[in-house]
Formats: sequence, structure tokens, C-alpha cells
Amino acid sequence: MFRTALLRSARRATSQAARSSGAIARPVVPSSFITKSRFAPSAFQAARCYSAAAGLSKPEVEGRIVDLLKNFDKVSDPSKLSPTSHFSNDLGLDSLDTVEVVMAIEEEFSIEIPDKEADAIHSVDKAVEYILAQPDAH
Amino acid sequence: MALAAYRHLLRSTRIAFQGDAQVLHAARFQARDAFRKNATMEQGDPALGPAIAHAEEVAKILRENVVQGKRVDKEGEERYKLRIHEHTERGDNNTVKMPNGQTVVIDGKKCTDR
Repeated sequence: MFRTALLRSARRATSQAARSSGAIARPVVPSSFITKSRFAPSAFQAARCYSAAAGLSKPEVEGRIVDLLKNFDKVSDPSKLSPTSHFSNDLGLDSLDTVEVVMAIEEEFSIEIPDKEADAIHSVDKAVEYILAQPDAH
Repeated sequence: MALAAYRHLLRSTRIAFQGDAQVLHAARFQARDAFRKNATMEQGDPALGPAIAHAEEVAKILRENVVQGKRVDKEGEERYKLRIHEHTERGDNNTVKMPNGQTVVIDGKKCTDR
């Protein structure tokens, strides 16, 4: 008897508290909706198109790297530019130029190439191969 | 080794002067110039080690101790908005004076104890 009375009064108190806090919380409702939308992003997914889902194609990567080298003023003979040209043997770039080219490739595809891999890139096809192996290159 | 230093330096310029093409180009030009000047150094030259160390230090300073600021006056006051990034060295007045993350030993004395 005493227990049921206690429970009832407690229930009344909580429902009252909920009702009053609901009234207070009402102005906050829009912001809580925004945080909720983070967990249900399907409605907003359409707006987040950063890149194609398929990733980069080989001709596209080749084209972008060759274009980048075309604009690099130290390339001795632009006619030798091809998807297979070697930076030092074909294009006449020295080791410092090669570092600059690799940096430019990094910036073009917005990735960071670790030192070890960067040292191994000496030709256009090596660079293309590396970029294609990177899932976050774009 | 020198190439790695050059790469780090170029990367630091990108971090330090992001979005500021003029200064970025100037910094890269300067870096290229300095490296070209020493390009004839032989392997085993006694000046080689210090030169590389210098480049690495410049890279570190650019990355950790250079902050871009933009003037955004507010309420008639002169104000600058700084772009503090993840690499910026942060410390308080005591630790910032100590090199390489060493900690300051405070002896507990106050000005009034003197």
C-alpha cells in the first residue's frame, strides 16, 4: 500500500518533470534535429558528391601528370613527354627537379607520398601506377 | 638524404604558406636557390651534414613556428585572425623556451623571496 503510493507519486513527479522540461526544451528542438540528422544522413547524402565513386581511370591520371609536366619549365624537350617517359633520362630533370615534380603530383592528387615511395618514383608510369594504387587520390 | 630534406622543406612551405601563392612561391624559390648553390657538394664533404641539418631546421621552423595571420578589424579595433594548425608548436611561457620538449624545472621561488 505504502509502496504503490510511493510509486504513483514518483511516476507523477517524473511525468511532470518530463512535461516541464519538454516545455523548456522546445526552443532547442531545431538544433537537436540537426544533431539527429547526423545519424540519419541518407536525406543529405545527395549533396555530398566529392568525387566519382569509381575512382580514377588510368588515362585520366596519365593525362593530368603529363599536363603537369608540360607546365614545368625545366622539362628540356616537351616533345618527349609521354606516359612512359623517365624524368631524368627523357626529360632532362635532375634529382632536385624530380623531388619538385613528385611534390607537384602530391598536390595535384591531394595525397601525401611517404619518403620511401617518393624516392622510387622516377618516371611517369611509376607515378601513374602509384596514384592508381591510392584509394584516396582524387 | 639531401633530397629528403628538400622534400621536407617544400612540404613545410606548403603547410606554412597555405593559400598565399606569392609567399609560397618566394619561399620555394629561395629553397631551390639554396639547394642549387650546394648541388655540387660531394658525398662525404664535411659541409654536407650541417647543410642538410640546416635545411631540416628551416623546415621545422616553417612548420612549427610560422603562423599565418589575417587582419580582421572588429569594432574599430585592430585584430588579427591566426591560422594555427596541427603542426604549430604550442606551449606555455615556461615550456616554449626549452628546446626539444625538455621541461622547465621550477624551484618554487617567488619574486618576494629574493
